[in-house]
Amino acid sequence: MNAAVGSAGVVLGFVSAAGGIVTIALGLLGGRRGMLRQIVPFVALVALGAVVAVAAMERGLITRDFSMAYVADHGSSKTPALYNVATLWSALEGSILLWALVLAGYLAAVTAKFRHRLDDPLVGWALLTMFAVCVFFFGLMLGPANPFHTVAVAPLDGPGPNPLLQNHPLMAVHPPMLYLGYVGFTVPFAFAVAALVTGRVGEGWLVETRRWTLFAWAFLSAGIVLGAWWSYEVLGWGGYWAWDPVENASFLPWLTGTAYLHSVMVQERRGMLRVWNLSLLCATFALTILGTFLTRSGVLDSVHSFSESAIGPLLLGFFALVVFVTVGLIGWRGDRLRAPGRIDSPRSREGSFLANNLLFAAFALVVLLGTVFPLVVEAVNGDRLTVGEPYFNRMTMPIGLALLFLMAVAPALPWRKASAETLAQRLQWPAWAGTGVLVLAVVLGARGVAPLLAFGLGGFAAGAAVRQIVLATRRQGWRGFMGRTNGGMIVHLGVVLIAVAFAASSSYDHQREAALDPGESVEVAGHTITYLGFEEDTSDPAKVERRARVRVDDDGVYEPTLQRFPNGSQEIGTPSVRSSLVDDVYLALLDPPASDGGPVRLRVIVAPLVMWLWIGGGVIVFGSALAAFPGSRRRGTEPTSALVAAGRDTSPVARRPGAARPDQERPERPERPENEPIGVG
Amino acid sequence: MADQPRTAPAARWVPWVLMAVVVAVALAVGSRPADDATEEDRVRAIASTVKCPACSGQSAATSDAPSATAIRAEITRRVRRGESDDEIRGYLAGRFDDILLTPTSSGAGGVVWALPVAAVVMAFAGLAFAFRRWQASSPTTASPADRDLVARARTGGSPADAHGEGDGR
Amino acid sequence: MAAPGRRRLAVAVAVPVAAVLALFVGVLATREPAVNRKTDSPLLDQPAPGIRGETLDGQRFDLGDLEGRWVLVNFFASWCVPCIQEHPELKRFSAEHAAAGDAEVVSVVYDNDQENTERFFAREGGDWPVVTDPQGRVALDYGVARVPESFLVDPDGVVRVKITGGVEQAGLDELLAEAGG
Repeated sequence: MNAAVGSAGVVLGFVSAAGGIVTIALGLLGGRRGMLRQIVPFVALVALGAVVAVAAMERGLITRDFSMAYVADHGSSKTPALYNVATLWSALEGSILLWALVLAGYLAAVTAKFRHRLDDPLVGWALLTMFAVCVFFFGLMLGPANPFHTVAVAPLDGPGPNPLLQNHPLMAVHPPMLYLGYVGFTVPFAFAVAALVTGRVGEGWLVETRRWTLFAWAFLSAGIVLGAWWSYEVLGWGGYWAWDPVENASFLPWLTGTAYLHSVMVQERRGMLRVWNLSLLCATFALTILGTFLTRSGVLDSVHSFSESAIGPLLLGFFALVVFVTVGLIGWRGDRLRAPGRIDSPRSREGSFLANNLLFAAFALVVLLGTVFPLVVEAVNGDRLTVGEPYFNRMTMPIGLALLFLMAVAPALPWRKASAETLAQRLQWPAWAGTGVLVLAVVLGARGVAPLLAFGLGGFAAGAAVRQIVLATRRQGWRGFMGRTNGGMIVHLGVVLIAVAFAASSSYDHQREAALDPGESVEVAGHTITYLGFEEDTSDPAKVERRARVRVDDDGVYEPTLQRFPNGSQEIGTPSVRSSLVDDVYLALLDPPASDGGPVRLRVIVAPLVMWLWIGGGVIVFGSALAAFPGSRRRGTEPTSALVAAGRDTSPVARRPGAARPDQERPERPERPENEPIGVG
Repeated sequence: MADQPRTAPAARWVPWVLMAVVVAVALAVGSRPADDATEEDRVRAIASTVKCPACSGQSAATSDAPSATAIRAEITRRVRRGESDDEIRGYLAGRFDDILLTPTSSGAGGVVWALPVAAVVMAFAGLAFAFRRWQASSPTTASPADRDLVARARTGGSPADAHGEGDGR
Repeated sequence: MAAPGRRRLAVAVAVPVAAVLALFVGVLATREPAVNRKTDSPLLDQPAPGIRGETLDGQRFDLGDLEGRWVLVNFFASWCVPCIQEHPELKRFSAEHAAAGDAEVVSVVYDNDQENTERFFAREGGDWPVVTDPQGRVALDYGVARVPESFLVDPDGVVRVKITGGVEQAGLDELLAEAGG
């Protein structure tokens, strides 16, 4: 029953999406604009199909319908309600189903937003692209990733999801966040394709999809941070980021998406970089598909990867299609879309955005290369080699430091050109802030050039962001926090927090493995860890827990645990963490006592500032939300900036096509170079 | 801060020179190796550059698989014996296939190190070249091709749509 | 065109990008799943690391004493299912070659205690030397990632073959014939 309803939903979604493509294609190619208005029912049916399919799957999971193969393989009567619902995205077929639901949601939202412009060919091509993506994902569920197979004889119970996926509530929120981010990039991608096909690259659609991109970006950021947090709380090795292929797959679109959010401002402001921006959007979308392929085809070894399946070739084919269509479109249209114009000086806002984009592209290149290089080498000469964490850390560290530096300098740069004096004056206090942080870190005992540079530049960048916010709030009151300029500065603060916390926690952590008898203590980095005793808990039918009771310093008992789920032979550890704003004491139980009252083996990790990673993630999301509000449109000019920018605006290229139209809803002021720094979106 | 009175040009740079001195001193002090690095820290540093042979992609420093535990124990023994990091890694590389997490800089592995560096250098060189060209060409002399492009872009899309944005936004 | 350089830039970039991407897709399309990949060992054609230690029944063992004969060095644990599966094959191989006197089996205990190992051999049989490796040094010298793993050492004490996963008697004889021929 559930399976049949679900299958019907998938078929409905597939057929409606295909119907939508045909309708739009007829409307666009036949020049019958009226047909484009007929698209709404198709969108509604795609959305309905997705909702029905997901509802059927959830109903199957909740009612424990073990006649469904997915429920029989991944569900269990003992799984608690929260994880039972989350079982939808704990395995391959279900994750594709969730993807399709989110995609259908975006399709519906775009249609609703552009409902008055449905007969515009630009919107038509965008919807056509989105329908095509829908056809692919619904098609996957009709083919090798069918979530609604049934089993001939329903088992009495199932094994439940992987134990690692059902012992922390973050698992219930992290994948949906990530998918809202991943799939969200379909929207700007669809408009990029539409712009390429129609040849219309004015900023109109850019302005309108900017918030969609920002929305997707914020969710992707949140998803990545939550994923790191989940790893930290669950996997027991005390780390949160290992440059694992699956992590990299989510990070790659984030990098190109971030590059886009910055460089799009150059296009809005100066009309330049249009083709580059389109390329970034296409690359971001293609990278989400590539990441999906890498994590679901089994070609790469990863702790997080889904089981190997037959959808690999299809995803690769789709990736190839996306890549060749977009590269072809850019090759075909690119030269006609390129805008005339030039950048006056590298010492300008747009110059810093260019450098920013180069660094983000280099960052993405390093991550992509490191991820796929073993495959390439093996294909070329059959050698096996591994590219692991040390490579990524060493290669990305200089790029990260350079980005921190840009983050500090760029907000103070006016558009067009800055004089050294202006810059020196605007940067003085942020630079002193950075120097202060550096000196403080050295005094507190921090050593090592790379982390110290990270602290100093982090302080510098934070100083620059705070300076902008202070200037804005002085002028505009509480509205100084709103708008993408100032919201963007808050995002910068979040990124600085993460960078500093990353540098500190990975450079200054201490780890001990100790065998402790009851009552015995061990000292790690100034913390006293005392093993009190051991207990076994069988009260929960879903699992058996064996806990060590451990006192950290004098304030509380922590219980690192080993859990055994009835279905899985594998015993998994759940660490226990004492978090504080200063440092985390991370306890993992390695070996339980061999006999009653015997010693346990514990891993103790003390790492500073870890909590600031999660706080930074929250700040990024908060800043993104502020950036989505329109900012103040008040004009205001700083005398120094006006001096610098004056006399330049008479050049003909400044009066470019697509320049700011007065009626355009834009949260910025044409002639206000100061306090208009890097924002997000 | 933004409205500071203007000072003489030379005086304006005094704080920056001062700041440079402070930063240089702080970095010089901070670049000395930390004295609280324990033997365990060194073992872990080495183990984190070595793969756990029984895992997928995890380092030997973080895994609890028997082989990873044995590798850590061996590294500890060899650290106590006074072997260098490279000697220890060399021993492991001579025993396990494909165990190092960092590709060697020679042979095919060199590409993964050199390619991003080359790409960044070329990109910034290209950017520098572009800026020179932009600066060389006077902004008032847009070429006919530029004007052609401007005109085309203006009329691109529907004829009434000067900004290529479509109507009914 | 007045400025052909400008005209063709996008094409000039798109074509090589497309070529690189085509190669990339080609590489990805031809990759086998990670789990099926063969394992190599840097030990192949190198002198076998020495094995000196105590056997399960308390006797001294030295791999060097077996020079002149083929030796199958087998790493196993009683908790490992494929090890239990391969055990009868090992027994057959051992019996066959013990009679001919041309090859020996040596088992090395991997991450296992004495008691369980003794029980394993009492239950499964097998009368070849079983070297206890309490600190896992031997397994480390041979680069054992996970059991079972076996190494075929030739009469000159050189490692010739590494086998990951369970062995079969017929396959072992074939390898022996190949390596020896």
